[in-house]
Amino acid sequence: MRKFFAALLVISSLLIISSSSFAEDTPKLRSTDQLKTERLAAQRGTVGQFIAEDMLGDKKSSLLTTYEKYVDAIAALRQGKVRAVVMDEMPARRFLNDVEGLAIMKDSLSEENYAIGFRKGNTELVSQVNKALEEIKSDGTLNKIFEKYYGTFLAGDASSIKPEDIDFNKGAKGGKLVVGTEAGFAPYELKVGSGYIGIDVEMCAAVAKKLNRELVIENMNFDALPMAVSTNKVDMICAGITVTEERKENMDFSENYVVGAKQVAVVRADDYEK
Amino acid sequence: MRNNFAKQKGAGRGDIVLGIFALFLLYLLYDSGFFTAAAWSDFNRRFYQNFIKDSRYMMLVDGLKATIFMTSGATVIGVIVGLILSVIRVAYKGGVHIPLLNKFAETYISVLRGTPAMVQLLIWNFTIFASARDLNTQYIAILAFGLNSGAYVAEIFRGGIESIDAGQMEAARSLGLSYGSSMRHVILPQALRNVVPMLFNEFIALLKETSIAGYIGIDDLTRAGQNIQALTLEHSQPLVMVAIIYLVIVLFLTHLVRRLENWLSRGRRG
Repeated sequence: MRKFFAALLVISSLLIISSSSFAEDTPKLRSTDQLKTERLAAQRGTVGQFIAEDMLGDKKSSLLTTYEKYVDAIAALRQGKVRAVVMDEMPARRFLNDVEGLAIMKDSLSEENYAIGFRKGNTELVSQVNKALEEIKSDGTLNKIFEKYYGTFLAGDASSIKPEDIDFNKGAKGGKLVVGTEAGFAPYELKVGSGYIGIDVEMCAAVAKKLNRELVIENMNFDALPMAVSTNKVDMICAGITVTEERKENMDFSENYVVGAKQVAVVRADDYEK
Repeated sequence: MRNNFAKQKGAGRGDIVLGIFALFLLYLLYDSGFFTAAAWSDFNRRFYQNFIKDSRYMMLVDGLKATIFMTSGATVIGVIVGLILSVIRVAYKGGVHIPLLNKFAETYISVLRGTPAMVQLLIWNFTIFASARDLNTQYIAILAFGLNSGAYVAEIFRGGIESIDAGQMEAARSLGLSYGSSMRHVILPQALRNVVPMLFNEFIALLKETSIAGYIGIDDLTRAGQNIQALTLEHSQPLVMVAIIYLVIVLFLTHLVRRLENWLSRGRRG
């Protein structure tokens, strides 16, 4: 019994410590310029991390925290551990839909293009996929996918999209097309039950169909994706990957399928003055 | 006398167990701001979203299956590898020298124990099995965890074998048994009895260790919690639930080990 009470004591003191808030007299955020001296968070290996590093300069080692998952970065933001999270606009908008008390700063940090990544030198697959992408662009398939997710999904009606409805082209004669992704990046990819949904997933399904191959999704951590594609663990990686000069040195890219995706700063709504 | 002692000790453990549960319960209460009706309904709503809606608890069930599958497979490999390694090492000390084998066992144990399991797992998946694409990743994880565990199990077995009085071996040898048969028929059966509880502990340790399997793309229990997080954008409930599931399994297994220990020691008294 004594131990039980001891445990209670420890817990209640922990609770008190964690619930006590610290007085905040710092001025609210107005522009992204202010973020250059603030504590920032990003998902590890993403362009958000690179942008935050550029913004912070030589203070990045003390001010930037990188997390394995976006959910963790947003949790750190809500708990006041960081002042802003640098991330892609569409996933940020989904967070704003589902989590209270967040805001996106008006001035975006940069604009990016997304493409599918391949092992360096895998030119045959790159040209096959490019051809397939061209076809689904011109016949309107890709647009339909974007409308579906930007509309239904970001409006908060995620349950209407079922993974079973996506045709993975099972048993296709051309063999498997293994695609690496990190399924915590809605609306681009998301694990639902035991299946996957998202723009990238449906686009890859359409591409696989054009190539007469069966789509297989490998769900990994984002920072393990370049390793997976360069060691041939997966044929290509499709995870809302931004094309950068640095990445081009180690990876081949398809044509862009998203142009002008914004990188934004997500902050607490009560910490932001528009 | 022994029973009395066991009872007292049991009560003490009960308190600790109770305390740990109280900790989780209180955390959940705190997290929900339990003390207002609005917060309670909010907690319920989030609980529904995280676990009930669209049968999301099945993600945890599937994750648990993967965790148990990997742990069991790895334990089997670990015990086999560990047994072989420990016999090599003990035989070397006992004067049975097979060229290179002892050196191999020593190197194996020091390399596998001297590097983090996480790094080993990544190396197995992305370097050694880099081109094995149709192989289920879970088998790679079982191999990585099993071989890693083997190095630890080897030391457990070696301790068990060395705890057997040297007179046993001498007696067996003087009766004309070869070194191998003395080991197989006299030493190992006794040693096994000593090490079974420790093997169970190794299983428990492995159960927790497999939580890093998400790094090579396996949706184990931990990763299942993270997948729910990504789905509902809620950070605390899925993780606490995952922790509770691990804890319940570990407490149950620990209980089994205690029962087993008692049972084994009772046999010895008779």
